[in-house]
Amino acid sequence: MEDLKKTQAIYPYLEKPIEIYERPCGHKIIFAYKSGSLINISSWVKTGAVNENDHNNGVSHFLEHLMFKGTSKHKAGYFDKTLESKGGIVNAATWKDYTYYYVTIPKGLDGKNFDITLELHADMMLDPIIPDNEIGLPFDINDTNITTKRERHVVIEEIKMRKDKPWTRIYNNTNENMYSKHPYKRDVIGNEQIISSITRQEVLDYYKEFYTPNNITTIIVGDMNSKDIIPKVIKAFDFKGRTNKENPVFESEKPLSQTKYVEDYSKINTGFLMFGYLCCSAKDTKTSIIFEVISMILGLGQSSRLYQNLIEKSESHIFNVISTEFSAMRDMSNFFIQANYKPEEKETAISLIQKEIEDLCKNGITEKELMKAKKKLKADFAENAETVSDIADTIGFYMTACNNLRYIEEYLNILNEITTDEVKKTANEYLTINKAVISTLMPLEYKN
Amino acid sequence: MEKYTLNNNIEVIIKENINTPRTAIVIYVKLNKQEQKAGINFLMSELLLQGTSSRNAEELANELDENAIDIIIEKKSDYIRLKLLCLNEDVEHGLEILSDIILNSTFNNYKKEIIKIKGEFEADLDSPKAQTQDEYYRTIFKNHQYGIGRKEIIENIDSITKEDLINAYNDFKYILKKNISFAGNIPAEQIKKLFEKYFEELKQKETEDTRIIVAALKENRISLIQKEDANQAQIFQGWNIPNIYSKDYPAIILLNTLLGASGLSSRLYLELREKKGLAYNIRSTFEANLLGGHFFIYIATEPKNIQTALNGLKIEIKKITEEYISDEELENAKSSTIGKRQFYKETNLLEANLNGIYEYLNLGYKFEDELINKIAALTKEDILKTASKYFTKPSALCILAPQKALSDAKLL
Repeated sequence: MEDLKKTQAIYPYLEKPIEIYERPCGHKIIFAYKSGSLINISSWVKTGAVNENDHNNGVSHFLEHLMFKGTSKHKAGYFDKTLESKGGIVNAATWKDYTYYYVTIPKGLDGKNFDITLELHADMMLDPIIPDNEIGLPFDINDTNITTKRERHVVIEEIKMRKDKPWTRIYNNTNENMYSKHPYKRDVIGNEQIISSITRQEVLDYYKEFYTPNNITTIIVGDMNSKDIIPKVIKAFDFKGRTNKENPVFESEKPLSQTKYVEDYSKINTGFLMFGYLCCSAKDTKTSIIFEVISMILGLGQSSRLYQNLIEKSESHIFNVISTEFSAMRDMSNFFIQANYKPEEKETAISLIQKEIEDLCKNGITEKELMKAKKKLKADFAENAETVSDIADTIGFYMTACNNLRYIEEYLNILNEITTDEVKKTANEYLTINKAVISTLMPLEYKN
Repeated sequence: MEKYTLNNNIEVIIKENINTPRTAIVIYVKLNKQEQKAGINFLMSELLLQGTSSRNAEELANELDENAIDIIIEKKSDYIRLKLLCLNEDVEHGLEILSDIILNSTFNNYKKEIIKIKGEFEADLDSPKAQTQDEYYRTIFKNHQYGIGRKEIIENIDSITKEDLINAYNDFKYILKKNISFAGNIPAEQIKKLFEKYFEELKQKETEDTRIIVAALKENRISLIQKEDANQAQIFQGWNIPNIYSKDYPAIILLNTLLGASGLSSRLYLELREKKGLAYNIRSTFEANLLGGHFFIYIATEPKNIQTALNGLKIEIKKITEEYISDEELENAKSSTIGKRQFYKETNLLEANLNGIYEYLNLGYKFEDELINKIAALTKEDILKTASKYFTKPSALCILAPQKALSDAKLL
């Protein structure tokens, strides 16, 4: 067997340490033991919208769809039919830093489903042929007479679906305005013009550039023995000398120095509002966990400040929904406050959220609030150890965004050591109002 | 798995699962009265987390979050379900709060809760899919309480009084049939003692279900929503099916797998998405409600494709009602359906939920094994017979799209 570099990491609430194997080609294999009848096999690729440009925006996601369209060995549909007929769930997802493909399936008697799942998953990852008849010919998006509709049209339907979702629309408006140059500013799904016209060769070129051994982490989770499965994974993932390339590196952007306001209108009845902030890199483990604490205290759950102060205790009932979200990313993470409100009260809604942010920066948080956040985040980690797919997703995300599993291993210790002063300092560093993009989506009748 | 009965005759299912850090407890409360005002039981359920005689709403929210105890209360068509989820070390604390909520809720904040609910629903209804789904339920369950959606609740909720809520709450506490299901890493004897301690005051009585049975559709019903800026048409089409006690239930599960529930290899997915590129989202699902169920298909497609999508659905429905499925398709659908049922027990919450729902339905916690055996024994004749029994009957169709697209599809 080839020379493997083996390390281990502790994943809280799992019975055994996670095993991490790095192959000479750079491909990483991770095994996490989890008792139960289901297994998960996934491969995480370190590419997504971050590696796109204005001409091929959406190619990562389009490729993700096309990876299911057959290989030299198996025609389109064989993978889905074979694994789904054994009770498996197969799918994939694309985001800015990553694209991943997974199968969660009953392991079957004596683990018999593992071998076939691994064989088909590795085959799909290494040998997608993307046939012309599946991708469909490029076409003019304004031509309404197209009758032969293939995968391009499926993705265009997905783009249309996202346009009709108010929360997605306001997220895109906010996101686009949070960056000046960084590729995170693009929407992962791309647009109809690009998806209708991109060629098969452009998609294949993108695959060849980024689906390299050092960019792929394969994760196996389930009630299995690593001594049995690791040699099988190595054998299945034969990269046949595929060469690695350095991934592009992008300069991090600084948060805004002046608040930016963005307005949009739609045929809706309520108002949607989003505050967006740039934060630290996901690799900055401690600051990332502090942001999770801030998010928990400010806007997650019925006891959070925003919910209590702006919904429960409010006499004016301006807000219908309010919450926060910390989204960890490789180069710069995001912190969002999202709300739905009565449209006639837009200015008041913005100023009430501003006041809450100002209060957080000026007065920080209480010890009691910090204790609450710590307890809830600890319980969230226990939840993330309950299913084979959640375990795989957590491992995959940190291997892709941070390149290691230190975050998982050190999470509970770092969390325990966080102080109220550190939370206040981080809030002041990143969340003052001048650093926010404030985006609204209003009913059409409020235009002008 | 162990089943036993508390002193107040409430049945409990206990499933010990070692090496699981979080405990799950699920309580089913069976609804059996016709609602006099739309949304009473929904509002009562929402208010259970808004204060008790010893904890106001804020204190309750703080205490739950400070201890990472999740209590989720859901009002469904036939029951109210209470879920408790917490780290093992907090289970007694969680049960004490759950018991307080069930026994001592005050409903003092009901006017504020009404305002909150109306706001949340108005926000939901800005989603074209949510708006269409609401309309679909209204269409297939016309004049029945299953058809009450967000819109009716927004319109009627102000008429609900505190007295209405207290009456519903007294039924909930003392009359309606209940059962408890536990899954977690706590010894059975310990959890039994906790249940005796915290749930001894709960009561239930044998009462008839006085709710009205769903009237089956006698003719096709179509309901249209015009939305001029919609990028996609939202389409729901559904048929009446029987409840879970029907002998056809296993075949309906399999039909759902075949048509649109089995991920990337179902018929609708393959024919309408993969071959025709008509949609990103297409799926089928069903609810075998006690008073009458429904099986429905959802597709979102570019507005100009409405007629093509409807024709495609029609062809697939016709095919499954007139032609035998192949032996291979039958075997694949069976193994897919049976295999996927393992996902229903992957966590303590899922397992407690599954065991609890069968007990609440008087099917017994062994029903899951019996159901799997029945699915395994289905023949292609059973599938054809069941499909033609339900899918050749009238359907309810609801579509949201711009006016021109509805006109072009000859729907206006």
